[in-house]
Amino acid sequence: MTEARSPILQGTLDLMTLKTLEQLGPMHGYGIARRIEQIGEDALVVNQGTIYLCLVRLVQKKWVTAEWGTSENGRRAKFYTLTKAGRQQLKAEVENWDRISGIIARVLQPATGS
Amino acid sequence: MLTLLRVAVARLRAYLRPGDQSRDFEDELEAHLAMAEEDKIRQGLPPAEARRMARVELGGVSQLVEAGREARGLPWLDSFWLDVKLSLRMLRKSWGLTLVGGLAMTIAIVIGATVFHFLNLAFGGTLPLDEGDRVVALQIWDTKEHRRHNTSMEDLERWRASLRSVETIGAFRTVERNLVLGEGSVPLAAVGGPVEPVPVAEMTASGFQLARVPALLGRSLEAADERVGAAPVVVIGHDVWQSRLSGDPAVVGKTIRLGETIHTVVGVMPEGFAFPINHRFWTPLRADPSTPLLTTEKALVFARLAPGVTLQGAQVELTAVGLPPIAGALEAETQLVAQVEPYIVALTSDGDRGQVVWLIRLMRLMVILLLIPPCANIAILVYARTVTRQEELAARYALGASRGRLVSQLFVEMLVLAIGSAAVALGVLQLALNWAESGLSEAADGGAPFWMDFSLTLKTVLFAGGLAVFAAMAASLVPAIKATGRQMQIGLHALGSRTGKQLGATWTTLVVFQVAVSLAALPLAVEIGWGTIRKGVLGPGFAAEKYLTARLAMDFEGKDGAAEAENRRRFASLQAELVRQLEAEPGFLGTTFADLPGDEPWDTIEIEGVTTERVGIFSPASLLRINRVDDAFFDVFEIPLLSGRHFEAGDFQLKAGDAGRAVVVVNRTLVQQLLGDRNPLGRRVRYAAAEHDPAAAGRATSPWYEIVGVVEDVPAHADRGTMYQPMARGLVHPAHLAMRLGPKPSTMVDRLRLIASRLDPTLRLDEISALDEVYREQAVGNNVGASSLAAVVLSVLLLSAAGLYALTSFTVNQRRREIGIRSALGATSGRLLASIFKRTLGQFAVGALGGMLVAALIDVYLPAEVVGGWSIPGIIPAATALMVLVGILAATGPARRGLRVDPNTELREG
Repeated sequence: MTEARSPILQGTLDLMTLKTLEQLGPMHGYGIARRIEQIGEDALVVNQGTIYLCLVRLVQKKWVTAEWGTSENGRRAKFYTLTKAGRQQLKAEVENWDRISGIIARVLQPATGS
Repeated sequence: MLTLLRVAVARLRAYLRPGDQSRDFEDELEAHLAMAEEDKIRQGLPPAEARRMARVELGGVSQLVEAGREARGLPWLDSFWLDVKLSLRMLRKSWGLTLVGGLAMTIAIVIGATVFHFLNLAFGGTLPLDEGDRVVALQIWDTKEHRRHNTSMEDLERWRASLRSVETIGAFRTVERNLVLGEGSVPLAAVGGPVEPVPVAEMTASGFQLARVPALLGRSLEAADERVGAAPVVVIGHDVWQSRLSGDPAVVGKTIRLGETIHTVVGVMPEGFAFPINHRFWTPLRADPSTPLLTTEKALVFARLAPGVTLQGAQVELTAVGLPPIAGALEAETQLVAQVEPYIVALTSDGDRGQVVWLIRLMRLMVILLLIPPCANIAILVYARTVTRQEELAARYALGASRGRLVSQLFVEMLVLAIGSAAVALGVLQLALNWAESGLSEAADGGAPFWMDFSLTLKTVLFAGGLAVFAAMAASLVPAIKATGRQMQIGLHALGSRTGKQLGATWTTLVVFQVAVSLAALPLAVEIGWGTIRKGVLGPGFAAEKYLTARLAMDFEGKDGAAEAENRRRFASLQAELVRQLEAEPGFLGTTFADLPGDEPWDTIEIEGVTTERVGIFSPASLLRINRVDDAFFDVFEIPLLSGRHFEAGDFQLKAGDAGRAVVVVNRTLVQQLLGDRNPLGRRVRYAAAEHDPAAAGRATSPWYEIVGVVEDVPAHADRGTMYQPMARGLVHPAHLAMRLGPKPSTMVDRLRLIASRLDPTLRLDEISALDEVYREQAVGNNVGASSLAAVVLSVLLLSAAGLYALTSFTVNQRRREIGIRSALGATSGRLLASIFKRTLGQFAVGALGGMLVAALIDVYLPAEVVGGWSIPGIIPAATALMVLVGILAATGPARRGLRVDPNTELREG
C-alpha cells in the first residue's frame, strides 16, 4: 500500500520556490516544479501551473527576477533568480516555519509526564 | 509596506500594458509543455501520451492564462469599467429613473455641499500668511453672557509684559471714517470732491510684524507712530492706491483726510494684503493709557504663538497668569475667562469654540441625513426596476456570477448616477460661490475677509464625492440585496413563465407614504414660495424709485457716559440741521429717519382688555412689525391716515416719567387682525416683553401706549400688522434715513455726502442706494430662495409620480394573465381599467387623504405667515387636484400597456 499524496500546504509554495532557487541558482518554472516533486518524493501533489502564478507574485514583490535564456536542452526558457530581498525574505520565512512547526510538533507530541 | 507598493506598481504596469505580459506568460507555458513532453518521451512514453500527460500535469492552459492575467493586473478595475459601461447603458435605457433620481440627488448634494463649503468658509481654513495657523486671538470671554468682554489698552500692555508663550501681541479696531482724497490741505468747507465713508483699521504697528508682509512702497506702521502726539500717518492698500490715487509712484508723503484728521501716507501695502480682516487703510492705534476700551465688535487682540508652543500651552499660561485685576474683580460675578483662540475662530464665531465645533458637526450630519429621503425614494424605483430585471439577474446568477458581483453591479449603476449628480451639484455650487463673492465685494464694509477663498476646494469636492458614494449606497444596497436574495430562485422559475412579481407591501407602503408627505408639504411650500417672491413680483406698492435711503453715523467710539450723552445731543442737532439743509436743496422733497417699510423688526404686543385669538399655536400679535419713526415718516412715504391723527410735536418730547401719555399709530392690518370691528382709537397697547421696549428700562412691564391713529398699509407689506412709535431724533445711532427726491435720485449721492461731511467731518452717510434698488436686491435673494424651494418641491413631486408609476406598472405586469382572460371574455376597456387599478387607486386615495389631512393640520397650526409665506385661499384642494393629476399621468403609461395586452399571447404562455 502506497503512502497517500498530500496537497501542498497553503502558503508554503512561495517558501518552497524561494528555497529551490536558493539551492539551485537561476532556474526555469519547469525545473522548479520538477525539483519540488523530486524532493517531495512524489508524495506532494504539485499542480505545476500554480508554480507560474506563484512566480508572478514573487516577481511582483521583487523577491525574484525573471529573464529569458536557454535551457540545458537548448530550449528557450524563462529563468528566475533569487534577489537580495528574496534571500532575506526566505531567511525570515524559514525561521517562521521552524518556529511554527516546532510549536505544532510540541502540541502533537504526547505529554511525557515526570 | 514596501512590498505592497512594489506589487501595486507592478500590477498597474501590467494593467497599462496587458498585451506584452500575456504573450510572455503564454510563451512560458508553451516552453514548459515542450520541456515536460521531452522528458516524458525520454522516459519512454509515446509522443501523444507524453503531450497529454504534460498538459494534465500543468493544468488547463486557458484557465492558467486567465489566472495569470488576474494575478498580474487589476482585475477588479476591469470589472468595474465593465459595470460602468453597463450602468451607462442601463441609465440611458431607464431615462425616467435617471432624470428623477438624478434631479433628487443633485438637489440634495447641492444643499449638502453648499452647507459644508460655507461652514468651512466661515469657520475653517487658515490665514494665508506666513505660518498663518500660529496666529491667535487673545480675549476675555464672558461665559455667562456668551460674548467677548471688552479689552482695555491696559489689558493689552499687561499681556505684552507677562506672556511668554505668545509674541508680537497687538490689537486693532475698525472705525468708519470719511475719506477725502487730494484735499488734505484744503479747508473742509471748501472741499468739492467726493466724500466716501471707508472702514479704517486702527492697529498697533505689531500687526504688520505679525503678518510678516513688508510694504510695497514706503514703510508700514512703526511703534513710534503709536505715541500720543505723533504725526498722524496712514498706510494704504494696493487697490486704493491703484483705483483712487491712480497708482501715483510718489504717493508716499502726500496727505489724505480721514474724518477730522489729515494723515500723511507713509506706505502702500502689496496687492491682496488686507490684514486684520478686509482693510485697505491702516492708522496707528494710539498708546494713550486713557484710550478707551476696545469694544467687543470689530476689535481684537492678536498674537503669534511662540516657536514650539501649542494653542493649549498658550492657554495654560494665560489661565495661570490670570485675568488682569480689573477683569479679575468682576470674574466671580460675570464668569470671565481669558482665552487663546485661533484667529479666524475668534472673529467668526459668537459662541464658545467647543459649541461651534459641535454645531459644525451637527450640521454636517444633518446634510448627510438630508440625502436619505430622496435616496429612499430612488431605492423604491431601483427595486421596482430590478424586479423587472429579475429574469436577467437570475440568468446571470445561474451562469456563475456571484451575488456580490450582482450587488456591486447595481451599486456601480447608482454610483455613476450619483457621481454625475455630484458633478452637476458642484457646478451649481461654483455659480453660487461666484454670486456670493461678487455680492460681498460690492458690500459697503470692504468685502469678504481676506482669508476667505471662494473657489471650490478639494475638501468640498471630496465631501461631495463622499455624499455621492453614500447616496449610491443608500439608493442601491437595500434593493440590490433584496432583489438578489430569496427572489433569485423565483426569478429562475420565472425564466420559463411570464408571471410578474409583486412590488411587496413595504415598498407599496413607502410609495403611499411618499404621496401623503408630498401632498402634506405641497400647500405650505407653495405659500412660502409665493410669500417669498410676492414682493418682487408685485413691487413695493409705492413709487420706490423716488426714494434714496442711507445710514447716517458719526464717530462715537469710546466716549464715557457723559460724553456719550453730549454726542447724542450733537447727533440729534446734526440730524435736524442735515434735514434743514437737504430740504433747502432743489429736488429734495422730504426726509425721514426710520426703518424702511418691510424692514422693521418684529415683536409681540398685547392690547388692554382684548384677548387675541390665536391662529393655531401662533398669535397674530406675535408677528407685528414695530417701526420707530419721526414726524415726517407718513408724509414722506405718502401713507394716508384712515382715522384719528398722525404724531404731533408733543408726542416726541415725552420723558421717561411721562408714561401714560405715550402714543402709537397702527396700520389697517393690525386693526383687522387683532381688533376686528372694534374701534381702535383710545385703546391701549404695550410690549408683551418689557425688555424689548426701550422705554421700559428697568421695569417689570412695558408702559401702556394709546392708539391715536390708524393709517393705510404699505401695499406690499400688508401681510403683517405694523405699530408705529414716535422716535425723537438722535436716539438711535446709526440712524436710517429715507429721502423723497425728484427724478434720478442716484445722481444726488455725492451732493448728499458732501452736505453731511461739511456739517461735521465725522458725519458719515453710507449704504446709500435708491429704495427700488434695495427692494430689487432683496428680491434677488428671495428669488434664489424660492427657486431652490421650487426645485425641491418639483423633485418631490417627480419622485411621487415615479413611485406611482412603479406601483401601477407592477400591478399591470402582475395581472397580465387576468387581463388577458377578462379581455377574452369581452370586458370593456373601462371595466378592465377599473378592475386593474381598483386596488392601486385605493392605495393612492389613502395616501392622498392622509396628505390632505396633514396639510389641513399644518394650515391650522403653522400658518404660512409665521414662516414667511402668504396664505392662498383654496390651496389645499388645488394641491390635491395637482397630486391627483400627477397620479393619473403617472398611471397612464402602464394603463395603456394593460389595455394592449394580447389575450391570445397571455393565454398561450400562461
